[in-house]
This record gives sequence, C-alpha cells and structure tokens, in this order.
Amino acid sequence: MRLEINGERFEVRDADYLTLLDVLRDRLELTGTKLVCDRGECGACTVLLGDEPAYSCLTLAAACEGVSITTIEGVARDGELHPLQQAFVENDALQCGYCTPGQIMAALALLERSPSPSESEVVHWMSGNLCRCGTYPKIVRAVLAAARAMNSEGDGGE
Amino acid sequence: MANKANGRRFVSTRVEVEGREEVRTVELPAFELEPWEAGAALGIVGRCALRADGVDKVTGRARYSADIQRAGMLHAAVLRSAVASGRATVNLSRVRSLPGVRDAVTGSDIPTVEVNGLPLLDDAVRYAGQPIAVVCADTRGAAELALREIDVHYDSAPHAVTAAESLAPGAPRVRPNGNAPEVSPRVIERGDVDAGLAEADVVITREYRVPAALHTALEPHGAVAEWTGDRLTVWESTQGVFNTRADLAAALEIPISHVRVIQDYMGGGFGAKNGASTNAYIAALMARRTGRPVRCVNDREGEQTDSGHRPTSVQRVTLGARRDGTLTAIILDAEVALGIGGWEGGPGAIYQELYRCDNVRTTETFAYTNLGAMASFRAPCNVEGAFGLERAMDVLARELGMDPLDLRLVNYATVNQGRNTPYSAKRLDECYRVGAERFGWWVREGATGSSNADGRGRAALDGAPPVPRARDGRFRCGYGMASQIWGGGGGPPAYAMVRLEPDGSAEVLTGTQDLGTGSRTVFAQIAAEALGARLEDVRVVIGDTERTPYTGNSWGSITVASVGPAVRMAAEDARSQLLEAAAGILDTTPDRLVASDGVVRVRRGTRSLTFAEMGEQLGDVMIIGHGSRGPNPDDTTLSTFGAQFAEVEVDVETGVVRVLKIVAVHDSGRIINPALAESQLHGGIIQGTGYALFEERVVDHALGIPLNPNMHDYKIPTMSDIPEIDASFIDVADTVANHIGSRGVAEPPIIPTAPAIANAVSDALGVEVDEIPMTPWRVMSYKERESREQTAESGELPRG
Repeated sequence: MRLEINGERFEVRDADYLTLLDVLRDRLELTGTKLVCDRGECGACTVLLGDEPAYSCLTLAAACEGVSITTIEGVARDGELHPLQQAFVENDALQCGYCTPGQIMAALALLERSPSPSESEVVHWMSGNLCRCGTYPKIVRAVLAAARAMNSEGDGGE
Repeated sequence: MANKANGRRFVSTRVEVEGREEVRTVELPAFELEPWEAGAALGIVGRCALRADGVDKVTGRARYSADIQRAGMLHAAVLRSAVASGRATVNLSRVRSLPGVRDAVTGSDIPTVEVNGLPLLDDAVRYAGQPIAVVCADTRGAAELALREIDVHYDSAPHAVTAAESLAPGAPRVRPNGNAPEVSPRVIERGDVDAGLAEADVVITREYRVPAALHTALEPHGAVAEWTGDRLTVWESTQGVFNTRADLAAALEIPISHVRVIQDYMGGGFGAKNGASTNAYIAALMARRTGRPVRCVNDREGEQTDSGHRPTSVQRVTLGARRDGTLTAIILDAEVALGIGGWEGGPGAIYQELYRCDNVRTTETFAYTNLGAMASFRAPCNVEGAFGLERAMDVLARELGMDPLDLRLVNYATVNQGRNTPYSAKRLDECYRVGAERFGWWVREGATGSSNADGRGRAALDGAPPVPRARDGRFRCGYGMASQIWGGGGGPPAYAMVRLEPDGSAEVLTGTQDLGTGSRTVFAQIAAEALGARLEDVRVVIGDTERTPYTGNSWGSITVASVGPAVRMAAEDARSQLLEAAAGILDTTPDRLVASDGVVRVRRGTRSLTFAEMGEQLGDVMIIGHGSRGPNPDDTTLSTFGAQFAEVEVDVETGVVRVLKIVAVHDSGRIINPALAESQLHGGIIQGTGYALFEERVVDHALGIPLNPNMHDYKIPTMSDIPEIDASFIDVADTVANHIGSRGVAEPPIIPTAPAIANAVSDALGVEVDEIPMTPWRVMSYKERESREQTAESGELPRG
C-alpha cells in the first residue's frame, strides 16, 4: 500500500492486516506515536488523517491510502517548533512525555476547528487524552497560550 | 556526620529506602562543601528553567525503552493464566511450527529464574494473569496471534483473593510456604495504649477500607535485550538501572560487569519499576536462546494485572483524647492483602509518626492472595494510612467539638517519636497557616473557634459573616483538610562526574533516572550553578550502567536529595580545576578568580576567559570533576511535610462528587525548579483525586479474576475530573539535611489528597465516609445510611 505521512510517500508491503499504529512504529520507525492501551481508550496514539484526529491503534493502515497522515514527527517544520509544541515546552505541559504526542495531535485538531477555544472547550475536547502524571492544568494553559500565539501571528503576519 | 579528623574514609550511616531506613557503610566525600544557605544568592538554582528534554518530548524524538529497535529483533508475547489458581497444561508443539514464530517456551524449557520468590514461568498457577508460556516471533502481531493458538488446559483449584479469605482456617494455600509473610503480624508499640485509653475523655473506634489501586503508567513495563558474546545489554523502563543490572546478573548467573542496563527516557513508573521486570528476564532469556535481540513489552491487560498495585487494606482505628484534644492513645489494627508477593507495606508508619502521642500501637497483619503482587506505589503505606488516620482525626474533632485543623495543631509533633530524634527541619505549621489562609479555612461556614495560640479561627472573620455554602439543595458543598509526612531525605551512595568539553560545554554523568520528574533538568541547574556555567551549556547524561557512575533507584522521592549533592560536588571539583588552569593562563592565583555565566574572571579586574576559550587553550587536557553523596547527619530525621485543603460539591441525586478546589502547601526544603516542582504537586494531587473518587481494581470473587484490567473500566482522572489547584511550597533551604538544602517532592503531594476530599465529602453530607473510592453508588449508600441514622437517632449530632 502507499501511504502519505508527514508529506512523504511510503510504500508498505504485506501490511493489509496491520493497524496504522503498527505500521508507523514497527515498519517505519516513527516511534513518536505511542502504543499505550491498544483499544482506543487513552488517546496516546492520536494522529491526524487530513484534519481529523484518529486513534491509530483502531485504524487499519490500508484504510489510510489517499489520506494525508500527520504524526508528531511532522508537526515541527524546517526545524522550527510549531507554536503548540513551543507552548507545551514553555508551560511545562509534560512530565514523562509519553502522552505528549497524542495530546499535541489532539490539540492541533482542536485549534484547526476552533482557533480561539474557551477553557471549557479545551477541557472537553482533550478529555479523551489521558495523562497519568497529572499534567492537565498545564496542558490547558499550553493549548490556550498556543491559540493566542497563533492568532496574534495571524494578525501581524502576511 | 562526616568526620575526617580521625582519618576515617568509611562510616556507617542511615540510608532511606522507600520510607524505610537501613544502616550502610559509605565512603566520605573527598572534600566538604559549605551548604547553600537559605536565601543564598543563587542564579540558576531556584529558577523556573524549561525542562531540559522538553523539545525531545514534544517532537516525538525522545526514545523510550519500548521504542528501541534493534536489527533482527524478535518480539516476545506472554501467555497469562486465565484462572486464579490450579494447574496449567500447555502444549506448544503446534505453535512452534506457525509462520513467523521463532521460539516458544514454558517454565521447564528455561533456567530457573524467580520473580517475587516464585518461578518466572510456572504451570502451577497462583493468580490470574500469571505468565505461563512465552512465544517469540518476527512481529508483535505474529507473537500475539500465536498465543491464541497455544493448547492450554486448566485444572482450577480454590483461591483466596481477600486477606480474610486467605487467613481463614482451611484457606487454600496461596504460596508454597504459607499465606502470610514471616513478619506478620507486625506489632510496633510505644508507651501503654491501655493506660492512654484510661486517660482519655473521648474514645472513638472506626473501620476504614482502601482499594487496590493500579499504577497505570502510560509506558508499560518492557525491555529489549541483546547479547554480544557473553555480555548482555538491556534497555528497560526502570526506576533503577543499577538495581536492574544486579537482578539480571544474579538471575542469569553471569558477572554483574557483563550486564549493561540503559534507560534514557521513561514513560512513568510511580514505584512499580524498581528492579528487573518479568519482561527483562524474558527478553534476556529468549535473546540468549534465539541468538537475536528480543523485545518484551507488556500489553495493557498484562500491565494492569501483573505489574504491581497499591495494596488494599482494612484499618480499624481507635483514638483516645482528652477534652482539650490531646491524643492519649492511637491504636491501629490493619489487615493488608499483598497479592502473590511484593513486600510488607502496611499503613502503620503514619499512625506512628504524624501526631504527637505517647501511647501508640500499630498491628499490621499481612496476607498473600491469589492476585498479582503488590508493588510500591507513590508514597506506599502513607497514602493508605493517611486515609484511615486523617478520617479518624476528623471524627475525633467532631466528637470533641473542635475544628479539624485545631485538633491537628494541638497534637503537633516536633520530634520523630519512634527514634526520639529531631527533624532536620519541619515547617508543617507554616503549611497549615499558609494553606488555611489561601483556602479561607477559618472563614468557611462551620468553622469553629480556634484554640491555637496565634488566635485565628473565628477571629479571622473580624466580624464579617462566614462564607456561606450550598447545603440543602441538590448540590451540597463541603470542606476538609489533611496532612502529610514522608521521607525524601535521601542519602549515599550516589556519584556524579562533570566533564568539561573542549567547546566549553559541560557534561554531567550520573547513573540516575528521570521518570518524568524532571531530575535531568534539576541536575543541569545544580551543575551549572556550582560550575559557573551557562545552563544551556550543561548536558546531563543519565541511566546507563556502563557510562554513568552509580546512584540508587529513583524511589522514595530521594533522587534530588541523594544525587543533587553529588552533582554539586562534581561541578565544584571541576570548577576548582578550571580555576587552577585559568590561573596559569591568566598569570594569577585561583583564589583571585571567579567563574559565572560561562566566564572565568579576575576579581575586581578586567581580564577574563570564556569556558570556550579555556577549552581551546586546554586542547585535549581534560577536566573531570568527581562528586559523591556524603552521609546524613546523625540522630536527625529527614522528612517532608505538607497540608491540603479540599472543597467539594456532592450531587445528592446522583452521588457524583466533584472536587472544586485543592489548596496544597508543602515543605520539601529548597525548591530547585519551582515550575517543575509545581508540576509534581499537580500530579500527586490529581492521582490522589483518582484514588479518592474513581480508582479501584475490581475482582470477581467467585472466579478470582480482575474485571477491569484496561484504561476504560479502571478509571484514572481525565482533564474533566480535576479540581482547581493552588499548589505552593514553603521554600526554605534545609541545610541540616544536605548541602543543597533540598528534600524530595514527588510522593508527598499524593498523601493528603484522598483524606482531605473524604473529609470534605463527610462534611458536605454529614455522614462518615469510611471507604474509597467515593464512586456514585457508594456515595448514594452513604446517603441511605444518613436517612436511616437520622430516623434512628433523631436528636443526635450527625456523625462525620
């Protein structure tokens, strides 16, 4: 099958029965996407299919042909952190970091839909992404800070 | 204390291990350092530096043990018992010939390796989830599919899954040597509790129950093993690379120097990863059999059934007090179910230590049960004990007509009563004062007059009416508080090296771990401060038994207090060498030089050299600083303290409890990085909220099988479940403890959260909460009890 991941094309063989998560991690060594619950309960394996967030552990890779897939490895551009990544670092919105890729992918999808979310919107949207270290208050802070940064970038920019 | 005068190089000192202490021989540091006093002008320590590995974590670059890929690597999957007790008959012949399968074993195919004193793979089944066979295949999928093809037949036998069942006459034999560890029952007593009860004006007796809670670290236990000749390298998700190395060498009967354990990034541990895991043994053995690298990572069900839990206990508590609140007796009788193994972690310690009382007796009875083994879980023992003790203190306060906080102040302990030693520092009184103020404790509706010396209580209202609360409608509001004591003083041995690179940067080498706590960042700050380097020029390398010098496990909140002083010493050593070298170049003496911000300057002069210029001048001459952790002060107890205040809202129609606010104030000595330390407080409070409200391993008693080994049915807090959190520290250096002035931060904040919430729910409903988690159905049962009691005992004060 042919997959387009982070703007690159990949040819993957004998993978008809594999989940997107297994293809990413075991075939393509894109290990930023994490395997945690393997049944759609924790959000750690979240990737974007187009603009839609998806649990890659519940998604067959074969169903993703023709869709542009974004993983955590594709969020920073040309070595520059995305404002959301920057906000996670600046607000200490991570501890062990294992849920972080999924949190960032979920937040990206939110900001795509709702560029200036309210706090309760962030909390509601992100509640499917579990964090055992208890970083939630700072994740909320980071997502709101990123939204502000991205909006002011938009205002002042081209 | 370190005593070089009589020329001794080795001394005996107390070393703390998970809240317990052992006496060990340690080497004295080569030189002594003056402590960083409270209020010392430090530029980098105390700063909210950004997490050193933040960028690696937000880009997906950080490689955790489960992410390690090796050429030709096989994947191991574990067949786990479907029954709680009995015998499994396994036939692997069909599985061995499946495509992609490279090897399959039962216990009889491998050398004897023990986990918790029992065989690694065993056809004698003692709990559901016990490993009984392993398959190795080319892919994870092929290995997992093969598991389903294994012919396995079970002959079930009776099981015991509660302490009561296990200790009953005629109970099934849970472990070969019996159903209780040798130490059980463990009785610790001081004074005379009967005399204490006779002195009491008020005596209360209650029974409290805590559930089995599961660590649920997002990264499961897992390891990758690879042999090169007779040398083994293991990448393991572990809180102790050196412990894991020792475990593996002993189990495989190879020299310890032939084992290298590596761990760079770690996706949480919370106490369950303190030595070599089942996965590490399996990976190492299967890699040796197959001649290929092997990865063995728990799936989520394996993780939730067989990687440890906080043990469940029943705590019968009796407190006696005089009319003025002075405690005259504390008695605890606890029954603790350990699962199939682990260690004897009972709730007694906090009953012994938190409050001043001359007459204390704790009796802990332990039972092995047919469930996975317990393991340390963030402040083991004190979390469980705090729930019973702090609930009982609230009941006593109610009986005495005292404010709960006043009762705690009346019984404030100033020394460690078990050992009769002073604390290196104890600022719990300040935690109470600041916490009460930030929470508005004394101005809440229902606050009673204060008996404490500083005249707070009602007086704080200053004539204003108390802040009213919703009481009689569907949503009832309540307030509660609780306190905390824990170790976290750390100790030797721990070593560090600081190496200056030719480009002027510095590398800190220390064999510790960063579970997500931020130790990597904190050690960079300490090293930069002591070396006079710029923070961005300091890189910390951890977690590699071959490359980094020894430190102990990251447990018991001891990492900063154990390793921090060694890191500082190594950096100071490197700095003195650097200044000596610079003195030669600048034609002056080292005492006229100072290093800061990556530059060596002549005091009151203009000449200077940057570290990079120094590196160029020195060329291949290396500066390597060595540091070690000195012994702890004699006859002193190093502890951490804190208090939390909770506001809750209970929906009396559905039984749903919402925690609206937690105010937390903790005393851990000097805070190296306030932002990261605050994150730790958040984490403890949020895990404590889960323990209070949701988290409970549910077991089918008839079958002996855990029913919720996943992340949906075992519910940890989500972003929607968390309270507003106001968390802070009494940030004062404790220079008696060690020369950086810090004690631990990670475990303390989980201790008081659940009892503070339970006290608040009791306050809201006027009914005694005696069991957690406070799930809706349990809260509704309290409501029913309340109406029954009101009918039966009308006219009496509601308890709670």
